[in-house]
Amino acid sequence: MNPDRSTDPADLALLEALQDDIPLVPRPWQDIAERLGVTEDEVIGRLHALSGAGIIRGISPVIESRPLGLHAATLVALRVTEDRIDEVAGIISAYPEVSHNFRRDGEYAIWFTITAKDRAAVDGILARILAAAGVAPADALDLPTVRRVKIDVRFRFVPQPGSGA
Amino acid sequence: MDATDTLLLAALEEGLPFVAEPFAAVGKRLGIPQGEVIARVRRLKEAGIIRKFRARIDQRKVGIVANALVAWKPGDYGNGETGARLAAFPSVTHCYEREPIPGRWEYTHYTVHHGYSRDAVEREVETIARAIGCPDYTILFSTREFKRVPNVRMGENGGGS
Repeated sequence: MNPDRSTDPADLALLEALQDDIPLVPRPWQDIAERLGVTEDEVIGRLHALSGAGIIRGISPVIESRPLGLHAATLVALRVTEDRIDEVAGIISAYPEVSHNFRRDGEYAIWFTITAKDRAAVDGILARILAAAGVAPADALDLPTVRRVKIDVRFRFVPQPGSGA
Repeated sequence: MDATDTLLLAALEEGLPFVAEPFAAVGKRLGIPQGEVIARVRRLKEAGIIRKFRARIDQRKVGIVANALVAWKPGDYGNGETGARLAAFPSVTHCYEREPIPGRWEYTHYTVHHGYSRDAVEREVETIARAIGCPDYTILFSTREFKRVPNVRMGENGGGS
Protein backbone atom coordinates (compact mmCIF):
# COMPACT_ATOMS: atom_id res chain seq x y z
CA MET A 1 0.00 0.00 0.00
CA ASN A 2 1.52 3.28 -1.05
CA PRO A 3 -1.01 6.09 -1.18
CA ASP A 4 1.56 8.57 -2.46
CA ARG A 5 2.76 6.51 -5.37
CA SER A 6 3.80 8.67 -8.30
CA THR A 7 2.63 7.58 -11.70
CA ASP A 8 5.14 7.27 -14.51
CA PRO A 9 4.41 7.34 -18.25
CA ALA A 10 4.14 3.52 -18.33
CA ASP A 11 1.46 3.67 -15.60
CA LEU A 12 -0.46 6.27 -17.58
CA ALA A 13 -0.25 4.15 -20.75
CA LEU A 14 -1.60 1.18 -18.79
CA LEU A 15 -4.40 3.27 -17.26
CA GLU A 16 -5.36 4.47 -20.74
CA ALA A 17 -5.44 0.89 -22.02
CA LEU A 18 -7.57 -0.23 -19.07
CA GLN A 19 -10.28 2.25 -20.05
CA ASP A 20 -10.97 0.15 -23.14
CA ASP A 21 -12.79 -3.12 -22.72
CA ILE A 22 -10.71 -5.79 -21.00
CA PRO A 23 -10.05 -8.59 -23.53
CA LEU A 24 -12.31 -11.56 -22.76
CA VAL A 25 -9.58 -14.17 -23.08
CA PRO A 26 -7.92 -16.49 -20.53
CA ARG A 27 -4.92 -14.17 -20.10
CA PRO A 28 -6.16 -10.59 -20.53
CA TRP A 29 -3.12 -8.98 -18.86
CA GLN A 30 -0.85 -10.79 -21.33
CA ASP A 31 -2.97 -9.40 -24.16
CA ILE A 32 -2.70 -5.85 -22.79
CA ALA A 33 1.04 -6.31 -22.14
CA GLU A 34 1.59 -7.22 -25.79
CA ARG A 35 -0.28 -4.13 -26.90
CA LEU A 36 1.90 -1.96 -24.66
CA GLY A 37 5.13 -3.78 -25.49
CA VAL A 38 5.85 -4.92 -21.94
CA THR A 39 5.69 -8.24 -20.11
CA GLU A 40 2.65 -9.76 -18.45
CA ASP A 41 4.50 -9.72 -15.11
CA GLU A 42 5.12 -6.01 -15.44
CA VAL A 43 1.42 -5.34 -16.11
CA ILE A 44 0.40 -7.46 -13.11
CA GLY A 45 2.97 -5.69 -10.91
CA ARG A 46 1.68 -2.28 -11.97
CA LEU A 47 -1.95 -3.37 -11.41
CA HIS A 48 -1.07 -4.27 -7.82
CA ALA A 49 0.75 -0.98 -7.26
CA LEU A 50 -1.92 1.22 -8.87
CA SER A 51 -4.62 -0.57 -6.95
CA GLY A 52 -2.67 -0.30 -3.68
CA ALA A 53 -2.36 3.44 -4.26
CA GLY A 54 -6.11 3.70 -4.79
CA ILE A 55 -5.67 4.90 -8.37
CA ILE A 56 -7.39 1.79 -9.78
CA ARG A 57 -10.57 1.24 -7.77
CA GLY A 58 -11.27 -2.08 -9.46
CA ILE A 59 -11.55 -3.68 -12.90
CA SER A 60 -15.15 -4.70 -13.25
CA PRO A 61 -18.14 -4.78 -15.60
CA VAL A 62 -20.42 -1.76 -15.92
CA ILE A 63 -23.86 -3.24 -15.49
CA GLU A 64 -26.81 -1.63 -17.30
CA SER A 65 -29.67 -0.58 -15.05
CA ARG A 66 -32.66 -1.38 -17.28
CA PRO A 67 -32.08 -5.12 -17.76
CA LEU A 68 -31.95 -5.34 -13.97
CA GLY A 69 -35.31 -3.68 -13.61
CA LEU A 70 -34.12 -0.20 -12.71
CA HIS A 71 -36.07 2.02 -15.10
CA ALA A 72 -36.14 5.46 -13.51
CA ALA A 73 -33.55 7.93 -12.29
CA THR A 74 -33.28 11.50 -11.20
CA LEU A 75 -30.75 14.14 -10.26
CA VAL A 76 -31.60 16.12 -7.15
CA ALA A 77 -30.12 19.40 -5.92
CA LEU A 78 -30.67 20.68 -2.39
CA ARG A 79 -30.37 24.16 -0.94
CA VAL A 80 -28.86 23.53 2.49
CA THR A 81 -27.18 25.90 4.93
CA GLU A 82 -23.43 25.47 5.35
CA ASP A 83 -23.68 24.07 8.88
CA ARG A 84 -26.01 21.25 7.78
CA ILE A 85 -24.15 20.05 4.69
CA ASP A 86 -22.22 17.16 6.28
CA GLU A 87 -25.22 15.86 8.20
CA VAL A 88 -27.57 16.01 5.20
CA ALA A 89 -24.96 14.49 2.86
CA GLY A 90 -24.51 11.60 5.29
CA ILE A 91 -28.25 10.91 5.38
CA ILE A 92 -28.40 10.89 1.57
CA SER A 93 -25.33 8.66 1.04
CA ALA A 94 -26.78 5.96 3.31
CA TYR A 95 -29.46 5.13 0.71
CA PRO A 96 -28.35 2.30 -1.61
CA GLU A 97 -30.43 3.88 -4.41
CA VAL A 98 -28.08 6.88 -4.30
CA SER A 99 -24.93 6.27 -6.35
CA HIS A 100 -23.47 9.76 -6.71
CA ASN A 101 -23.49 12.50 -4.09
CA PHE A 102 -21.38 15.63 -4.45
CA ARG A 103 -21.02 19.05 -2.99
CA ARG A 104 -20.98 21.68 -5.71
CA ASP A 105 -20.51 25.43 -5.99
CA GLY A 106 -23.58 27.59 -6.18
CA GLU A 107 -26.95 28.12 -4.56
CA TYR A 108 -27.63 24.38 -4.35
CA ALA A 109 -24.83 22.77 -2.36
CA ILE A 110 -25.69 19.07 -2.57
CA TRP A 111 -26.26 17.17 -5.83
CA PHE A 112 -27.12 13.46 -5.84
CA THR A 113 -28.65 10.80 -8.08
CA ILE A 114 -31.36 8.24 -7.33
CA THR A 115 -31.92 5.11 -9.46
CA ALA A 116 -34.90 2.81 -8.79
CA LYS A 117 -37.41 0.56 -10.50
CA ASP A 118 -39.87 3.22 -11.60
CA ARG A 119 -40.81 6.84 -11.16
CA ALA A 120 -43.04 6.15 -8.16
CA ALA A 121 -40.18 4.38 -6.37
CA VAL A 122 -37.80 7.28 -7.11
CA ASP A 123 -40.42 9.78 -5.84
CA GLY A 124 -40.88 7.72 -2.67
CA ILE A 125 -37.15 7.58 -1.93
CA LEU A 126 -36.79 11.31 -2.54
CA ALA A 127 -39.71 12.06 -0.21
CA ARG A 128 -38.12 9.90 2.50
CA ILE A 129 -34.74 11.60 2.06
CA LEU A 130 -36.26 15.08 2.28
CA ALA A 131 -38.23 14.13 5.39
CA ALA A 132 -35.21 12.51 7.06
CA ALA A 133 -32.99 15.49 6.22
CA GLY A 134 -35.59 18.07 7.16
CA VAL A 135 -35.35 19.78 3.76
CA ALA A 136 -38.48 21.42 2.32
CA PRO A 137 -39.48 20.46 -1.25
CA ALA A 138 -39.16 24.17 -2.11
CA ASP A 139 -35.43 23.84 -1.38
CA ALA A 140 -35.03 20.84 -3.69
CA LEU A 141 -34.71 20.55 -7.46
CA ASP A 142 -35.92 17.17 -8.75
CA LEU A 143 -34.59 16.74 -12.30
CA PRO A 144 -35.74 13.37 -13.67
CA THR A 145 -33.75 11.77 -16.48
CA VAL A 146 -35.55 12.08 -19.80
CA ARG A 147 -32.80 10.56 -21.90
CA ARG A 148 -29.28 9.33 -21.37
CA VAL A 149 -27.42 10.62 -24.39
CA LYS A 150 -23.91 9.50 -23.50
CA ILE A 151 -21.81 7.85 -20.83
CA ASP A 152 -18.21 7.34 -21.82
CA VAL A 153 -15.88 7.97 -18.95
CA ARG A 154 -12.47 8.10 -20.49
CA PHE A 155 -9.64 10.20 -19.20
CA ARG A 156 -6.75 11.34 -21.29
CA PHE A 157 -3.78 11.40 -18.99
CA VAL A 158 -1.02 13.92 -19.33
CA PRO A 159 2.13 13.41 -17.26
CA GLN A 160 2.17 16.13 -14.58
CA PRO A 161 5.62 17.48 -13.84
CA GLY A 162 6.57 16.88 -10.23
CA SER A 163 3.17 15.61 -9.28
CA GLY A 164 2.42 12.09 -8.28
CA ALA A 165 -0.80 12.84 -6.55
CA MET B 1 -29.97 -13.92 -17.32
CA ASP B 2 -30.01 -16.95 -15.04
CA ALA B 3 -29.00 -17.43 -11.40
CA THR B 4 -25.42 -18.26 -12.39
CA ASP B 5 -25.15 -14.98 -14.32
CA THR B 6 -26.32 -13.12 -11.23
CA LEU B 7 -23.69 -14.83 -9.07
CA LEU B 8 -21.04 -14.23 -11.71
CA LEU B 9 -21.86 -10.51 -12.01
CA ALA B 10 -21.76 -10.16 -8.24
CA ALA B 11 -18.33 -11.83 -8.15
CA LEU B 12 -16.96 -9.77 -11.06
CA GLU B 13 -18.22 -6.59 -9.48
CA GLU B 14 -15.61 -7.06 -6.74
CA GLY B 15 -12.98 -6.66 -9.42
CA LEU B 16 -10.87 -9.04 -11.50
CA PRO B 17 -7.97 -10.43 -9.47
CA PHE B 18 -4.49 -9.45 -10.63
CA VAL B 19 -3.34 -12.96 -11.48
CA ALA B 20 -2.35 -14.39 -14.86
CA GLU B 21 -5.74 -16.09 -15.38
CA PRO B 22 -8.28 -13.85 -13.60
CA PHE B 23 -11.39 -15.43 -15.14
CA ALA B 24 -10.22 -18.85 -14.02
CA ALA B 25 -9.73 -17.51 -10.48
CA VAL B 26 -13.24 -16.04 -10.40
CA GLY B 27 -14.68 -19.26 -11.82
CA LYS B 28 -12.91 -21.34 -9.22
CA ARG B 29 -14.68 -19.46 -6.43
CA LEU B 30 -18.04 -20.13 -8.08
CA GLY B 31 -17.32 -23.65 -9.30
CA ILE B 32 -17.53 -22.63 -12.97
CA PRO B 33 -14.81 -23.50 -15.50
CA GLN B 34 -12.85 -20.62 -17.05
CA GLY B 35 -14.30 -21.22 -20.52
CA GLU B 36 -17.82 -20.88 -19.21
CA VAL B 37 -16.99 -17.71 -17.26
CA ILE B 38 -15.64 -16.08 -20.42
CA ALA B 39 -18.55 -17.35 -22.55
CA ARG B 40 -21.08 -16.00 -20.05
CA VAL B 41 -19.40 -12.59 -19.88
CA ARG B 42 -19.40 -12.42 -23.68
CA ARG B 43 -23.09 -13.30 -23.75
CA LEU B 44 -23.90 -10.68 -21.12
CA LYS B 45 -22.07 -8.09 -23.21
CA GLU B 46 -23.86 -9.10 -26.38
CA ALA B 47 -27.17 -8.91 -24.53
CA GLY B 48 -26.34 -5.36 -23.42
CA ILE B 49 -26.41 -6.25 -19.73
CA ILE B 50 -22.70 -5.49 -19.42
CA ARG B 51 -22.10 -2.15 -21.09
CA LYS B 52 -18.36 -2.16 -20.65
CA PHE B 53 -15.67 -4.07 -18.78
CA ARG B 54 -13.07 -1.57 -17.67
CA ALA B 55 -10.98 -0.14 -14.86
CA ARG B 56 -12.61 2.25 -12.42
CA ILE B 57 -10.03 4.97 -11.94
CA ASP B 58 -9.81 7.60 -9.23
CA GLN B 59 -8.81 10.37 -11.58
CA ARG B 60 -8.14 12.82 -8.74
CA LYS B 61 -5.17 10.71 -7.67
CA VAL B 62 -3.50 11.28 -11.03
CA GLY B 63 -4.08 15.01 -10.99
CA ILE B 64 -7.45 15.32 -12.73
CA VAL B 65 -8.90 17.26 -9.83
CA ALA B 66 -11.48 19.49 -11.52
CA ASN B 67 -14.95 18.04 -12.02
CA ALA B 68 -17.85 20.06 -13.34
CA LEU B 69 -21.49 19.41 -13.98
CA VAL B 70 -22.68 21.87 -16.61
CA ALA B 71 -26.38 22.65 -17.02
CA TRP B 72 -27.42 23.96 -20.44
CA LYS B 73 -30.50 25.87 -21.54
CA PRO B 74 -30.60 25.64 -25.33
CA GLY B 75 -34.22 26.86 -25.46
CA ASP B 76 -35.57 26.99 -28.99
CA TYR B 77 -32.10 27.14 -30.48
CA GLY B 78 -31.38 23.49 -29.96
CA ASN B 79 -33.74 22.04 -32.58
CA GLY B 80 -33.65 18.84 -30.58
CA GLU B 81 -30.04 18.31 -31.60
CA THR B 82 -28.38 19.78 -28.52
CA GLY B 83 -27.87 16.45 -26.75
CA ALA B 84 -26.20 14.83 -29.73
CA ARG B 85 -24.05 17.90 -30.40
CA LEU B 86 -22.87 18.06 -26.77
CA ALA B 87 -22.21 14.32 -26.66
CA ALA B 88 -20.04 14.54 -29.76
CA PHE B 89 -17.28 16.33 -27.82
CA PRO B 90 -14.78 13.70 -26.62
CA SER B 91 -14.20 15.57 -23.36
CA VAL B 92 -17.87 15.15 -22.36
CA THR B 93 -18.03 11.99 -20.22
CA HIS B 94 -21.76 12.13 -19.45
CA CYS B 95 -24.63 13.80 -21.27
CA TYR B 96 -28.24 13.67 -20.10
CA GLU B 97 -31.52 15.35 -20.93
CA ARG B 98 -33.62 16.12 -17.86
CA GLU B 99 -36.99 17.63 -17.12
CA PRO B 100 -36.80 21.36 -16.37
CA ILE B 101 -38.75 23.04 -13.55
CA PRO B 102 -40.56 25.97 -15.18
CA GLY B 103 -39.86 29.26 -13.44
CA ARG B 104 -37.29 27.74 -11.07
CA TRP B 105 -34.70 25.81 -13.03
CA GLU B 106 -35.09 25.76 -16.78
CA TYR B 107 -31.97 23.88 -17.81
CA THR B 108 -32.68 20.81 -19.93
CA HIS B 109 -29.25 19.34 -20.80
CA TYR B 110 -26.43 18.29 -18.52
CA THR B 111 -22.83 17.37 -19.25
CA VAL B 112 -19.95 16.26 -17.04
CA HIS B 113 -16.38 17.44 -17.61
CA HIS B 114 -13.05 16.54 -16.01
CA GLY B 115 -9.75 18.38 -16.17
CA TYR B 116 -6.44 19.11 -14.53
CA SER B 117 -7.67 22.57 -13.46
CA ARG B 118 -10.84 24.62 -13.25
CA ASP B 119 -9.39 26.98 -15.86
CA ALA B 120 -8.94 24.15 -18.32
CA VAL B 121 -12.51 22.95 -17.79
CA GLU B 122 -13.91 26.49 -18.11
CA ARG B 123 -12.05 27.01 -21.38
CA GLU B 124 -13.31 23.68 -22.74
CA VAL B 125 -16.91 24.47 -21.78
CA GLU B 126 -16.65 27.92 -23.38
CA THR B 127 -15.36 26.35 -26.57
CA ILE B 128 -18.26 23.91 -26.62
CA ALA B 129 -20.79 26.68 -25.88
CA ARG B 130 -19.52 28.70 -28.83
CA ALA B 131 -19.43 25.69 -31.13
CA ILE B 132 -23.03 24.70 -30.43
CA GLY B 133 -24.28 28.30 -30.13
CA CYS B 134 -25.63 27.98 -26.60
CA PRO B 135 -24.51 30.87 -24.37
CA ASP B 136 -26.95 30.02 -21.59
CA TYR B 137 -25.26 27.56 -19.23
CA THR B 138 -24.02 27.28 -15.69
CA ILE B 139 -20.88 25.46 -14.50
CA LEU B 140 -21.18 23.64 -11.17
CA PHE B 141 -17.76 22.54 -9.98
CA SER B 142 -17.66 19.82 -7.37
CA THR B 143 -15.85 20.67 -4.16
CA ARG B 144 -16.41 17.37 -2.33
CA GLU B 145 -17.26 13.81 -3.24
CA PHE B 146 -19.52 12.24 -0.60
CA LYS B 147 -20.34 9.11 -2.60
CA ARG B 148 -19.42 7.75 -6.02
CA VAL B 149 -20.27 4.12 -6.78
CA PRO B 150 -21.71 2.35 -9.86
CA ASN B 151 -25.46 2.94 -10.08
CA VAL B 152 -26.06 -0.82 -10.34
CA ARG B 153 -24.49 -2.95 -7.62
CA MET B 154 -25.64 -6.55 -7.62
CA GLY B 155 -25.25 -6.99 -3.89
CA GLU B 156 -27.10 -3.82 -2.96
CA ASN B 157 -29.70 -2.81 -5.51
CA GLY B 158 -29.41 -4.96 -8.62
CA GLY B 159 -29.48 -8.62 -7.75
CA GLY B 160 -33.02 -9.87 -7.68
CA SER B 161 -34.39 -6.72 -6.09
